[in-house]
Amino acid sequence: MSDTNRNRLMLVIAIIMAAIYLFPLYWMYITALKSGSEMFATPPSFWPSEPQWGTYTFVWESRGMGRYLWNSLVIAFGSVTLITVLGVGCAYVLARYRNVWVDIGLFLILMLQVLPASLMITPIFVGFSQLGMLNYPRLAVIIAIAAKSMPFFVVLVRATFMAVPQELEEAALVDGNSRVGAFFNIVLPLARNGILVSAILIFMQAFGEFVYSKSIIQAVELQPASVGLNSFMGPNTNEWNRIMAYATIYVTPILAIFVLLQRRIVSGLTSGAIK
Amino acid sequence: MTKQIELSGVNKYYGAFHALKNIELSIAKGTFVALVGPSGCGKSTLLRSLAGLESISTGDMRIAGELMNNVPPRKRDIAMVFQSYALYPHMTVEQNLTYSLRIRGIGKAEARKAAQEVAATTGLSQLLGRYPRELSGGQRQRVAMSRAIIRHPKAFLFDEPLSNLDAALRVHMRKEIRTLHDRLGATSVYVTHDQIEAMTMADHVVVMKDGVIEQQGAPLELYDRPANKFVAGFIGSPAMNFVPATVGEDGRSLAVDVGEKQTIVLDRQLQPGRKVTAGLRPEHLHFVEPGQGVFRLPVGIVETTGSATYITTSTEAEVTIVETSRRAVKTGDVIDISVLPADVHVFDDKTGLRI
Repeated sequence: MSDTNRNRLMLVIAIIMAAIYLFPLYWMYITALKSGSEMFATPPSFWPSEPQWGTYTFVWESRGMGRYLWNSLVIAFGSVTLITVLGVGCAYVLARYRNVWVDIGLFLILMLQVLPASLMITPIFVGFSQLGMLNYPRLAVIIAIAAKSMPFFVVLVRATFMAVPQELEEAALVDGNSRVGAFFNIVLPLARNGILVSAILIFMQAFGEFVYSKSIIQAVELQPASVGLNSFMGPNTNEWNRIMAYATIYVTPILAIFVLLQRRIVSGLTSGAIK
Repeated sequence: MTKQIELSGVNKYYGAFHALKNIELSIAKGTFVALVGPSGCGKSTLLRSLAGLESISTGDMRIAGELMNNVPPRKRDIAMVFQSYALYPHMTVEQNLTYSLRIRGIGKAEARKAAQEVAATTGLSQLLGRYPRELSGGQRQRVAMSRAIIRHPKAFLFDEPLSNLDAALRVHMRKEIRTLHDRLGATSVYVTHDQIEAMTMADHVVVMKDGVIEQQGAPLELYDRPANKFVAGFIGSPAMNFVPATVGEDGRSLAVDVGEKQTIVLDRQLQPGRKVTAGLRPEHLHFVEPGQGVFRLPVGIVETTGSATYITTSTEAEVTIVETSRRAVKTGDVIDISVLPADVHVFDDKTGLRI
């Protein structure tokens, strides 16, 4: 087989895989626009005959989505801020020092990443309830998410810092700066892109977080959109078009961010590997 | 003369590794010092210790008379030019130059003026608004130099600053750095692994090996009277020939073991029968008419550069000869070579020290 033919075959396979992967997303968008009877038609229709745009406003108002999304934003921004402030320093130290203890630290950090949220939630819940943290449920969720996502952030940002040559810092020291000054003047500006990208990834994770929010936040008016979506669905649900409209409103902003920043995110993820 | 840099009894350990061994070095103000040696000899460690980027384990380090052992780099008032230049990539040339001034709280206008003055002397005036990534290697090198001279520091430290340049530019920058040093009346310490750079640029050359200073002195002193075999072999290009030899019965001649044993005359008295190593610089070996020389050597390889011909013999201890006259020699010829008694270096067989 010639190279061109092989490339074409690969392209076809890639398109099929992408189609399978993106089908649910497509189904979500069109179901949200279908009417009640079209939704259950056999054979199913792949394009809504009469788009029901009214579903969006109805769902937005009846489910109080403004409040849910606001809570999601508060939790996501809170987690990102906490993780960035604490994680940048940690990642810098792990990038600049090389010894056994740093290796052990990195190993432990990666271990934390392995434990699933559904396993961690029980001890976290008990601990938080003992401390009285459940009275501030959103803060409690922010702290829990920060603990969960910090390793991911630290590992990514560490790679970014390692790409900044140490000689630049030494030059700044000789030029008359202190270590702290050199960090803020030289290292941080050069690592900015990597930190930004990691923060965006964390933001997207935290925006869709479900397990901790569902378990810790009891009051409906403090719950994020992920929990709101869950409570929308019951055992006898048949208003799938509304649920899909909810999901569309929830997920489209995140998709938009990803599509807009896709190039930077990919280059940020590989910035540690190439110069 | 005032001493600008003084090191006494300086030792540096990395765990069990002894990187600097009892370093004694004193540098007068206005001197250009070259630290030279093979890689891993400790020359860069010594320079970084001077900059304060490494701490020394024992000993005293003084800059302009002040004890600097535990002083952080920013308070030492020294400037350093790094091998990679270490220009700040997110700053323009002007910002790179004025960074040290801005940290010291010097006003914008004054810093800008200083940058323009320095840029005028180093030929960077047109490039002040550019970023380092938009400059060629030679221009980056110049920015690194300018960044060092803008503050008038007590000493300049150079860490192999020319090793990333091509050969022609390197020769040019060598002169430029030396000229700059003279004009500023600066005190410079220059690390290099290239002995030619050290010989051509420095007033005082320090040869290091395995963390020890093997010899220090004026370039020609090192060339004329190397203290041991290592220095003798390191300084000079092509490298000195070493051949095993035995002192003759009279104590004033050497039986040299190349090809068939041959005898050369000495200008000094040595203990008869002693086993030694004779050191002969390639440029001190001369062609003579057949029968007139002290050596008769078979020719192995002939390399021509145009200005000189490098002849390597096919004897067991290879001997290299540099001949500047255009003499037709080819592989397999047997040539007659002479050497002046004063040009024969003799080293102890075991210790390698000069006799």
